[in-house]
Amino acid sequence: MGKIPPSLRSSVSTSLIKKPSSLVPNESPSHRPHHFPKKTTKKIPPQLSEKTREPTFRNPFTSANLSDAKKVFNSIVTTTKVPLDLRVHNALLQSYASISTLNDSISLFNHMIKTHPTFSPDRSTYHVLLSQSCKAPDQTLKPVHQVLNFMLTNGFSPNKVTTDIAVRSLCSSNNVGLAVELIKEMSLKNAAPDSYTYNFLVKCLCKSSAVSTVYDFIEEFKTSFGLKPDIITYTILIDNVTNRENLREATRLVDVLAKEGIRPDCYIYNTIMKGCCTLNLGNEALEVLKKMKENGVEPDLVTYNTLIFGLSKCGRVVEAKKYLGVMVEMGHFPDAVTYTSLMNGLCRKGDVLGALGLLEEMQEKGCEPNVCTYNTLLHGLCKAKLLEKGLDLYGVMKECGMKLDTASYATLVRALCREGRVADAYEVFDYAVESKSVTDVAAYTTLEGTLKWLKKAREHGLAT
Amino acid sequence: MLPPRLKKAITDNPKKLANLIDLVNLPSTLREFVGQSQISHLGCFMRVWSYIKDNNLQDPNNKNVVKCDEKLKGILLGKPQVELCELPALIKLHFPKEQK
Repeated sequence: MGKIPPSLRSSVSTSLIKKPSSLVPNESPSHRPHHFPKKTTKKIPPQLSEKTREPTFRNPFTSANLSDAKKVFNSIVTTTKVPLDLRVHNALLQSYASISTLNDSISLFNHMIKTHPTFSPDRSTYHVLLSQSCKAPDQTLKPVHQVLNFMLTNGFSPNKVTTDIAVRSLCSSNNVGLAVELIKEMSLKNAAPDSYTYNFLVKCLCKSSAVSTVYDFIEEFKTSFGLKPDIITYTILIDNVTNRENLREATRLVDVLAKEGIRPDCYIYNTIMKGCCTLNLGNEALEVLKKMKENGVEPDLVTYNTLIFGLSKCGRVVEAKKYLGVMVEMGHFPDAVTYTSLMNGLCRKGDVLGALGLLEEMQEKGCEPNVCTYNTLLHGLCKAKLLEKGLDLYGVMKECGMKLDTASYATLVRALCREGRVADAYEVFDYAVESKSVTDVAAYTTLEGTLKWLKKAREHGLAT
Repeated sequence: MLPPRLKKAITDNPKKLANLIDLVNLPSTLREFVGQSQISHLGCFMRVWSYIKDNNLQDPNNKNVVKCDEKLKGILLGKPQVELCELPALIKLHFPKEQK
């Protein structure tokens, strides 16, 4: 990221801006300064990671027709000099499975064994078929059972990896209900899920069903299969209820956690604090910080970022700034997220010049602004009727191909129209559409609405 | 991913979005201008706006004003010149609310 031009820093000068040397927007624009680095650690079974590499190759199978596929396979076998290993076989089967039906894939699988005796399928080969069966369009477990039985007859009993793959595939094709059904079956059959699979499913359930359903599921697993929720499960649950703005339930969950004898860690506290901040409850957020300290949990960068974000959001930017000092004292380096939150807070208070000052401070400290910072400042400048400076900044953003966010786009268009610069507003509209900052519909709706407003304002003699 | 506010606007008012992007059978005046028999409200606006840009129809002294050529006059109520800020409203006239 390059530097914001000097003309934007001093509040007096209006000279034109210098081009920054290199500006590559590499951060996704997001106003929420919580990046939780660790939640549930994703476990990718080896055969899945192999699959993900695949789309870089062209799919050798161009038609879903079985006899065509057999021909393709035969020609690959005869033309390739090196002996094909298991991974190639799996990859081929996977490629075909991505375009065909389950029964055709099984037929090809049988054909592969028959015509190419060196191919000895192992568990991962069956898992390819399994994951295809989970994506079958019919809303039952029949195809999944078919593959599981097929595995069993060939001497491979399902294990926890099998369960994991089936559950993830079912969830990714929006069949969470089936996944729950399957995981119960598997728990009875010596293929009990591990905590990763379990937590993954809990997370999917949280997204798709009511909280009570999730609790029932957890209760059932505890009593029937002895699988207890762990700290990650609780983090998922707390995150879920706070996203639904139910802080009381979150507090209750923390108490449950204490009863279970699990000590809340930094992530749990961060999640609760995030909940407080999205609800604009500054005092409660500070309360969480106090509690952390009491329980001897060291706040991390995310904690401070969340707190500063929250305090800025509810208009307590002076306190937020105090915590900037605190976090530095504790040995954390404030990042672009920290500063952007603070700038956001200052802009909300109408202190755009203070925000620009902060920009200078941040760059002095060697912290580069990101797209989000630029958007925050653009929004603030336009709101504070500093249109010329806003346009300078917009010029820089355009130069570097940065995207506008919805809010800054709308404020810029409005500010231009208010000044009677409709043609310039159209130009911003063009840029927003061209850079895919917002959808065409959103860009147009904003423009149309603003022009409608302008017409009314003119009728009342309020605008030029 | 749609921004939450837009998403809300769409779920609150799916009709409004549909009005913008659904293809509409065009009256003959407009058909001649766009060169096809169907276009969406949004697509039509884009077409007219890029026509203005491509043919440099903006008044060089006041960019906010468009000097219509014959072709453009035909679809914009025959006005010799229109203000840019009226453009969406003028185009909307071709897309009346009650379609069916």
